[in-house]
Amino acid sequence: MAKDSNAPGASPDLSVQLGPLRLKNPVMAASGTFGYGEEYGAFADVEKLGAIVVKGISLEPRAGNPPPRLVETPAGLINAIGLENVGLDHFISGKLPYLHGKRVPVIVNIFGNRLEDYAELASRLDRVPGIAALEINISCPNVKQGGMLFGADPAMAASVVKAVRAATTLPLITKLTPNVTRIGDIAQAVEDAGTDIISCINTVAAMAVDIFSRRPKLANIVGGLSGPAIRPIALRCTYEVAAAVRCPVIGVGGIFDALDAMEFFLVGASAVQVGTANFVRPSATLEIIAGIERFLQVEGISRLQDYIGTLDTRCVFPFAEESCALGD
Amino acid sequence: MVKIQEQAWIMEHEKLARQTYRLMLQSPEIAAAARAGQFAMVRLGDGLDPLLRRPFSFHRIFPKQGIIEILYRIVGRGTGKLSRIQVGDSLDVMGPLGNAFRLPSCDSSLVVLVAGGIGIAPFFALMQDLVGRPDASLHLFYGARSGDELLPPQLFDGLRVTVHRSTDDGSLGYCGRVTDLFQEFMGSALPRPDAVYSCGPLAMQYHVARWALNQGVDAQLSLESLMACGVGACLGCALPAIGADDPATDHYLHVCKDGPIFSPGSIQWQKIQMHRALPQTFLYN
Ligand SMILES: Cc1cc2nc3c(=O)[nH]c(=O)nc-3n(C[C@H](O)[C@H](O)[C@H](O)COP(=O)(O)OP(=O)(O)OC[C@H]3O[C@@H](n4cnc5c(N)ncnc54)[C@H](O)[C@@H]3O)c2cc1C
Ligand SMILES: Cc1cc2nc3c(=O)[nH]c(=O)nc-3n(C[C@H](O)[C@H](O)[C@H](O)COP(=O)(O)O)c2cc1C
Ligand code: FES
Repeated sequence: MAKDSNAPGASPDLSVQLGPLRLKNPVMAASGTFGYGEEYGAFADVEKLGAIVVKGISLEPRAGNPPPRLVETPAGLINAIGLENVGLDHFISGKLPYLHGKRVPVIVNIFGNRLEDYAELASRLDRVPGIAALEINISCPNVKQGGMLFGADPAMAASVVKAVRAATTLPLITKLTPNVTRIGDIAQAVEDAGTDIISCINTVAAMAVDIFSRRPKLANIVGGLSGPAIRPIALRCTYEVAAAVRCPVIGVGGIFDALDAMEFFLVGASAVQVGTANFVRPSATLEIIAGIERFLQVEGISRLQDYIGTLDTRCVFPFAEESCALGD
Repeated sequence: MVKIQEQAWIMEHEKLARQTYRLMLQSPEIAAAARAGQFAMVRLGDGLDPLLRRPFSFHRIFPKQGIIEILYRIVGRGTGKLSRIQVGDSLDVMGPLGNAFRLPSCDSSLVVLVAGGIGIAPFFALMQDLVGRPDASLHLFYGARSGDELLPPQLFDGLRVTVHRSTDDGSLGYCGRVTDLFQEFMGSALPRPDAVYSCGPLAMQYHVARWALNQGVDAQLSLESLMACGVGACLGCALPAIGADDPATDHYLHVCKDGPIFSPGSIQWQKIQMHRALPQTFLYN
């Protein structure tokens, strides 16, 4: 790894260039875990975030799934919210103004039941000022139609991205599901279809049951697992996606502190999103930003860019010299 | 509304009844802002087990002394861990969250509280607020499965409240459900109340809600749901609600931001799915 001879203590450069999207730092709040920003206003300064990804938005408001919608599992949380959201119109008139008052890039996570829904969302958001990028959610496990169905098939995933690409000039992030056999294939398909950036992963399909009442713990029966429990899965997915595509990748899944985030940079993520950790520590994203800075300082790396994707997978034989001697 | 995240020191930690503990916390900023009926999200340790914060109502609030109290019952991993915390340790607390009890508008009112088990917790803060109204008449219906789960009577001293106790097993007070005791009283001994407050298991609150709706009495129910964030961000704490325009379409309220205090008419009770708690014998052997 290239160590930098810069004066120790100098502030490392955390800025990242994600295709057309430039962020002052690589840490975003993940969709569905930070509301529309206002909910955490009292606990964390959103202006310090690299970006905020808002709760998934559909054309029409959605009531979501019946409760119980949550269950905690070892180091994880299974949710089946069912993409409850206020709908596009109320998002624009009622939720966006708060974020416009803040100096933070706003990324809108969009979700539709049909291809045309995605296209219409994109074309209408294209005309709304103050949006930094769209994140296409083709990976939600908690809805009957659309959602993960689109994200599980390379051809369908590509068709969604093409439809959105045709409808907007905004930077496009496509968010992938881990609930597929070969995530690299999906990544290649959405890159070819024109996405600028890929984020991965959404939640891992999961369930929990009550052995006494013999009932599922979620009314939806199954849900999506998030939190530290899925971090190794998310890391593997990020690694495979980064290897499969040229576009920048955003790592998501179980990131709770700065060292977790560094793992994702190492395997090739150019940025990260933090989800479930916000519930536990509302200032988790800010602590992670500070921690990344400290890590780079201690390691003597002046730019985060220089660390990204530097995983060395060569096999190392620890007894090189002796083995030569033995071979003589 | 101010919301604060504070590192709160444990000043006292005392067992008050079976599986039931009271925690006294030095938490000056939250104490200054908290009102009866609101809750706090408490992080139980700094590890991953349990992962999420747990919601607890304010049991008593002493703004001048900068103290809040939590009364809790051990029901699982989180509350089990909480019971092992020591005086001098600290807890990461977020609050105050949610809405508060509305106090009766008139000073000389008949106020009725219905509490099931640990549902007694927020009523101490409410009674603290009502104690300054000498003309108010305060009746508490307080039930539990068994007598050893009820808080000791001396804790009610000085609160000027008439306590009517019930136990499911008849070991103390009225034998039967607290809602039956409450309804018998309301049918005979007491006039129509000016305010009814209720907190406890959902099945119990459903009976209070039905009674209040039938009688046309204003009631305030403190309801629960599983929570992840406590601030309206995750949308996990949904309860089925009566839709504003079309009762056939699904509509949800969120306990952390629309509640935890609800009026009986706003909830669509038939759509609530109960999830049964673990039998006690399987916990913490
Ligand atoms: C607004 C609000 C205020 C509350 N105030 C208090 C209080 O003052 N004192 C108190 O003791 N408890 C209170 N609770 C309930 C308390 O949050 C739960 O008992 C606690 O989260 C259980 O955590 P655990 O890890 O011990 O249980 P877990 O191991 O998570 O669960 C054990 C069992 O308890 C059930 N359970 C878990 N959480 C809840 C919940 N929120 N409501 C109902 N059942 C649940 C589970 O379904 C499971 O069967 C309140 C809940 C809410 C939503
Ligand atoms: C309660 C909850 C709601 C979520 N809602 C959305 C959503 O609306 N759109 C989306 O793309 N992802 C959603 N997600 C997934 C997260 O953005 C993230 O991909 C996932 O939780 C993994 O990251 P984490 O382990 O850091 O939480 C949600 C996750 C949770 C826990
Ligand atoms: S607990 Fe997250 S919205 Fe209520």
